[in-house]
Amino acid sequence: MTVTSPPIAAPALDLDAHRRTRRRLGARTAAALPLLAVVLLLPLHSDGFANIAAYAAIFVMVGLSMNVLTGYTGQISLGHQAFVGLGALTTANLINTGTTAADPFLFGIGMVTAAAASGAAALLLGAVALRIRGLYLALVTLVFGSVFADAIFTLPSLNGQDAGVKAYRPTALSSEYRFYLFALAMVVVCYYVDVCVRRTKVGRGLIALRDNELVASAFGVNVLGYKLLGFTLSGAMAGLAGGVFAFWTQQFSDKDFTAAAGFNLALTFVVMVVVGGLANRGGVIIAAVFFALVSPISPMMGAIAQHTGWLNFYNDHKFYISNVIGAVLLLQTVVLNPGGLGQVIRPFARWFAGHPFTLHDPDGGDGVGAMEGSSVRA
Amino acid sequence: MSVLEVRDLTIRFGGLTAIDSLDLKVDEWEIVGLMGPNGAGKTTAFNCITGFYKPSRGQVFYRGDDVTKLPPHRKAALGIGRTFQNVGMVKSETVLENLLTAQHTKTGYGALQAVVGSGVVRAREKELVTRAEAILELLGLGEFRDRRLGALSYGTLKLLELGCALATDPDLLLLDEPSSGMGPEESHQLGERLLTLRKELGVTMLLIEHHVPLVAAVCDYVYVLNFGKLLAEGDPDHVRNHPEVVAAYLGGEAPEALAETELPEDQQELAEVTS
Repeated sequence: MTVTSPPIAAPALDLDAHRRTRRRLGARTAAALPLLAVVLLLPLHSDGFANIAAYAAIFVMVGLSMNVLTGYTGQISLGHQAFVGLGALTTANLINTGTTAADPFLFGIGMVTAAAASGAAALLLGAVALRIRGLYLALVTLVFGSVFADAIFTLPSLNGQDAGVKAYRPTALSSEYRFYLFALAMVVVCYYVDVCVRRTKVGRGLIALRDNELVASAFGVNVLGYKLLGFTLSGAMAGLAGGVFAFWTQQFSDKDFTAAAGFNLALTFVVMVVVGGLANRGGVIIAAVFFALVSPISPMMGAIAQHTGWLNFYNDHKFYISNVIGAVLLLQTVVLNPGGLGQVIRPFARWFAGHPFTLHDPDGGDGVGAMEGSSVRA
Repeated sequence: MSVLEVRDLTIRFGGLTAIDSLDLKVDEWEIVGLMGPNGAGKTTAFNCITGFYKPSRGQVFYRGDDVTKLPPHRKAALGIGRTFQNVGMVKSETVLENLLTAQHTKTGYGALQAVVGSGVVRAREKELVTRAEAILELLGLGEFRDRRLGALSYGTLKLLELGCALATDPDLLLLDEPSSGMGPEESHQLGERLLTLRKELGVTMLLIEHHVPLVAAVCDYVYVLNFGKLLAEGDPDHVRNHPEVVAAYLGGEAPEALAETELPEDQQELAEVTS
């Protein structure tokens, strides 16, 4: 037994790791470039491409929002469409463009207000959700989402007397591609917040309470406060996504978020975060893009159906197809691949982070732990 | 002034009195043992002291302040650290991340600063990592830095848990069976470690422990609980030879007053009440 060093000692610099990281920098940049090219250049192909790419960006924001709530905090939400919708409603009504393009300054204020409003609504839901978990939490969020949407979004004074509230884009963002770039910038904001959360005491506190609330509080984490923080952050991101959504469709219509359409969205949001991999940013982003591309409004599925001669079948069933795909992917994730897509791409993600490339990862990833530890199991 | 003073602590679960009028005192720099057979209420006492349970009656004083009603995280921030009977760590995280999580109240930045990525955060995070690594070195666990908990042995986990408790920067440390899962040699080492920790960090300790040689080696004073009541107290040698203590442990001539219904396992209570 030799305990001689004082508790605060100089750290041994990991020079090896540093060199490794530097050596692969070139290769990593080379690998990132094609990805960046796809993200930035493919939507230049046509307005249709840019349009669906912006829709995918909105999904990614919601995915990151769900990642904070379900992945890190371990809380499930089957009512997330309400937060997206509230964001859209808030921005559209605040700016209320009428028939003219939005004032850029007001537009910015609208985005911030959308995030704030949905953050506040999520705080409210969080306060209710503090004392319940698992299946009951799922039910409460489900009811909250649909009641909130059906009761508030359908108020004639808020939905433009049932005709929808117009939200024309500012002139600078009027082209589809420019609007896509704006949506991408908002994704970067959400991504940045997600990274900040994960790398600091906030993310560690959330993950600690997800795994074990007793241990978290013994470590000094204010469990109730941090749950509320998780809900609020997630709601704010979803609200921002809603704000972007309002200007993507160029109007707020309650029909996008109420009844079957709303529930469909809520379900997709939950499925995409599980299929992507709980607490795994990269996996969730890929899954979100995928689900945006197979969604009923995506032109991609229509084009594929036309080429393969299934167009009539597709048109008859397009509102369920993404659900069926989601269900199949969800099953295979839960049964075969609990870490989700994040687990699949982990060897690449690790390499990207500067580790040697290996398919065998003895310590496993975050996602597996998240699946085991979170209350998502209900 | 005592570091910890428990006065007339009583807690009931329904009709069951798990702890009955417990008085207990831990002075500065002391290592105090809390012993007793299974179901005696030792872990329940810990849970009352650290705020996980609300006692039905009585008070808990920390350095003279009444902290009975403070929630666990506030007590952790005050400097009351604890470990759990069945390894209390964040199991999906790596060893290093656990030690960082344990420093939650010592980060020196706020949640809002963290979320917006303030510059303070990066510098402070580096210091946290340095401190975590120092604690790992102190316990001789440096090689496990980036491992996930699932891959580690129980003895290592118990030691790491002690490291996490130290990372919360405690002034009073409550250890729940720190030597469980360790052999005689390891638990002897643990005893020396605890004495060293007290010497170097000035930590006052209260520990639940069944391993008599360890208790005899490190404890200045021992309390023995049985069926929620204080059975005996005194220095380890006195308690060790106390006839009622021997009877309670070995089930010899138990005094009639003690032959009541068996209490459930502490851990079951913990699971039920908090789930």
